[in-house]
Amino acid sequence: MSILANKDTRVVIQGGAAGLNAARRMAEFCYMIKQPLNVDAFVYPPDSGKTNEVPYGSGLLTIPVYKSVAEATAKHPQVNTSLVYIGADRACTAGMEALNDHQIQLVSMITEGVPEKDAKLLARHATKLGKVFNGPSSIGIISAGACRLGVIGGAFDNLVACKLYREGSFGVITKSGGLSNEIIWICSQFADGITTAIGIGGDAYPGTDYVSYLEKFEQDPQTKAVVIVGEMGGDLEERAAEWCGAKKRRIKLLAVVSGFCQESLPKGMKFGHAGAKEGMKGEGSARSKSEALKKAGAIVPDTFGALGPAIKQVYEDLVKSGQVRPIPELSPADLPKLPKPVEEGLKTGEVMVVPIIKTTISDDRGDEPLYDGYPASELINKGYEIPHVIGLLWDKRLISKQEAEIIKRIMMLSADHGPCVSGALTTIIAACAGIGMSQAVAAGLIMIGPRFGGAVTDAGRYFKHAVDNKMSVDDFLAYMKKNVGPVPGIGHRVKSVRNPDKRVKELVSYVKSLGIPTPHLDFALAVEKVTSAKKDNLILNVDGTMAAVLVDIGFPVDSLNGFFILSRTIGLIGHWVDQKRQDSRLIRLFDYLVNYAAPKRREVPPLK
Amino acid sequence: MAKVLEGPGMGLMKKWGISVPNYVIVSSAEQFEQLAKAHDWIRKGKLVAKAHEALGSRFKLGLVKVGLDAAGAKAAVRGMLGRQVGSITVSQVIVSEMVPHKEEYYVAVKSTREGAEILAANCGGIEVESNWDRVKKLRVEVGETPSSDALEKLAKEAGFTKELARKIAGFAGKLFACFDNEDAQYLEVNPVVARESDGELVALDAVTLLDADAKFRHSDWDFLFAAEFGRAYTKNELEVMGVDSKIKGSVKFIEIPGGDTAMLPAGGGASVYYSDAVVARGGKLANYAEYSGDPPDWAVEVLTEKVCSLPGIKNIIVGGAIANFTDVKKTFGGIIAGFRKAKAEGKLNGVKIWVRRGGPREKEGLDAMRALREEGFDIHVYDRHTPLTDIADMALQKK
Repeated sequence: MSILANKDTRVVIQGGAAGLNAARRMAEFCYMIKQPLNVDAFVYPPDSGKTNEVPYGSGLLTIPVYKSVAEATAKHPQVNTSLVYIGADRACTAGMEALNDHQIQLVSMITEGVPEKDAKLLARHATKLGKVFNGPSSIGIISAGACRLGVIGGAFDNLVACKLYREGSFGVITKSGGLSNEIIWICSQFADGITTAIGIGGDAYPGTDYVSYLEKFEQDPQTKAVVIVGEMGGDLEERAAEWCGAKKRRIKLLAVVSGFCQESLPKGMKFGHAGAKEGMKGEGSARSKSEALKKAGAIVPDTFGALGPAIKQVYEDLVKSGQVRPIPELSPADLPKLPKPVEEGLKTGEVMVVPIIKTTISDDRGDEPLYDGYPASELINKGYEIPHVIGLLWDKRLISKQEAEIIKRIMMLSADHGPCVSGALTTIIAACAGIGMSQAVAAGLIMIGPRFGGAVTDAGRYFKHAVDNKMSVDDFLAYMKKNVGPVPGIGHRVKSVRNPDKRVKELVSYVKSLGIPTPHLDFALAVEKVTSAKKDNLILNVDGTMAAVLVDIGFPVDSLNGFFILSRTIGLIGHWVDQKRQDSRLIRLFDYLVNYAAPKRREVPPLK
Repeated sequence: MAKVLEGPGMGLMKKWGISVPNYVIVSSAEQFEQLAKAHDWIRKGKLVAKAHEALGSRFKLGLVKVGLDAAGAKAAVRGMLGRQVGSITVSQVIVSEMVPHKEEYYVAVKSTREGAEILAANCGGIEVESNWDRVKKLRVEVGETPSSDALEKLAKEAGFTKELARKIAGFAGKLFACFDNEDAQYLEVNPVVARESDGELVALDAVTLLDADAKFRHSDWDFLFAAEFGRAYTKNELEVMGVDSKIKGSVKFIEIPGGDTAMLPAGGGASVYYSDAVVARGGKLANYAEYSGDPPDWAVEVLTEKVCSLPGIKNIIVGGAIANFTDVKKTFGGIIAGFRKAKAEGKLNGVKIWVRRGGPREKEGLDAMRALREEGFDIHVYDRHTPLTDIADMALQKK
């Protein structure tokens, strides 16, 4: 058996993120003891109508969030307990709301920094209604093998280490959350573990004191002894001593009290817990509390360290007298286990996953991105530039300084081509319509295709095909005529032999000046000679030139359009920013710019 | 608990209808002189001047002067301002009018588990200390208000009669209203006096302790809370308080000069047991500290730096129970960063570090601490299998 929290405890959690975190911890415990999750509902007005996800074993439970406790209990008639994770300024209202619900019998409040007056009002209201109010500042309540309320007990490994999957013989009441866990651990190592452990909170006036819980433990036949961890300040320990000494008690009481150091510290000094302070006239000192407990017949070790052996002694006496039968230990293989997240299982080599994506170019799982294995900062520090990053990410190789210079020039030459071309015009129209940068620039990029800027890849592909197959220019033109159509990379809308494209001249003369082998460029120029002789504007255009040069320096055909896309993106961003800067108005074409060739106005026939 | 100085304390009582003497709080003699021009009572009556600081035994220190005229009060203000008492510099003086009276009484309201107790005695001043049996009590449950009959009964039990009993009952009722509405934890008026001129009960001195946690509903609490142990907070303490106010979880730090054992434990409960263990083994605490509620690592790092800066320390106790949800690896990460910084600054020479801890990711955290040995730290690391406070015993070589 246990007190307060058992297998019938069904919970509503009042609160947001902290409450959800507690529910997750509680689900781990429920899974450990093979019980369904004991949290039925959340109450958190900002999220009402939504659901919270709580992992349970290898699955995921969906728990509803309500606006009020009344709504939650109406929908979940088995809920009898509320955990309050609401901020200090609203905690009192939340606690009252829970207490006033006819289904709720136990309210435990985790909130810290609740005004004393509020805590007293909540305690009084609970007493009046015959209910239990635990906290504020309570880490929670845990009954081994039965129920966990709050994060008390810590991580899953600790639940198992402390044998909380089955009940022992010791009750625990502490003010401190951390120490509740410590005592649970000690009870599991020096004795057979706990029945129920309760954190009552470290405030000056906890809603429920040691005595009320001692009385409950006294009525619980499974609990044979109770450990209380007290501290200086208030009179709760004195009241416990009084209870203990008032008459013969079935349960053994063990106690430690902290705060002896107060005797050698500045008077009035504040410790971590609000309740840990001596009274005005020295009442509530650790010494007077210890003495009172000892006098009442409690076992009070001199130090916290001596508590373990004292618990052991009590346990051995209980075994000797036949009141407790030792519980056989589980073999390590039988201990409860929590399904691991895939990540952890991978780390320990317990699971294998077939990835759905494969990458061969970059990795940012470390402290900085690696481009084809090279840390970005190292590339920067060793003088590499953007063309080298392009080389690494597009072709997985560190290109030479000379190759980088060629790419840089290509990029600079095609960064922009004025506002009238398809890409820039589209971006400008979008910018003037108030569209954001990424969408407007993307709209411009969408224009890149067979007729505008998108011929680089195809030009490269066919020049390469010709060179690879050692075709003559005539064979090539015949092949293209038969299989493809116009030669990509050849021809210009406005430029011609007499009006050459300066960008092409510039690039060709630079690449030629390097003295490197340029079979594709040479072939392309040979093609131009033949085609431009037939028609003046069938010159090698900038797409074709770029394509030939890039294939010459080894870039794969599929990457070639990328050089134009990347470089033109610079221009498109420029156009978008430019329109933004001018605060341009919406563009609408004038009627006279449209040839209205649609049928004239006519009558709509009746619908048949 | 938060202590409030006399001036703001009197202000709160006045708000709830209690008569208090006229007073001014000044931070320079010139300011006092200006106020004297504005207030008749300063120029015409007898005055009391008191240092307006959280200091005990002000009378003995010469920081209370009575029976002054305006000129005398100005001299007293000049004499008190700037006086250094321990770490506190007198920066304000409260000057109030003397209220001629024959008898002194005592009324207080104290927080109890069930609600409050109203205390009354028909003696006051220092007399009440030696006649505590004359103090009578009335218990008031939280949420209740004492009836005037109950208050009058209390006054009569305390030995007041007739008209005075009614007046004391009225005074106690107002003091209770102040207590209840201002989220007070303790209010004491000693002495309460009957003003000779009109018989009105006046509060001559106020002890006011408020519940700092209730500040959110008192927008008119425009005063600072006073340090509670008779000294000003140090720069490092204030810095840690500043961090504490910004984070989830908490970090706390109080310096204790002259100690040799520095404390860096986790948890409001365990930290006191560690302090006890050090004191029990004859160690001298250099500080009180605590971090809890899974604070961010940078906050723990700041706390660690402060602990490492304590002068003359020989041991640092990095203790802690088995945490429920404080991430041991993360918080230890903050401590380790603090240690490294301190070491780089030439601190921690000859200082032994003792670690004991459990909780989420305890293995990773403890392993990281252990690894500090290779960086030349004199560090001793234990896990949950070593009882909580054994590291204090080992540090002080009793085990």
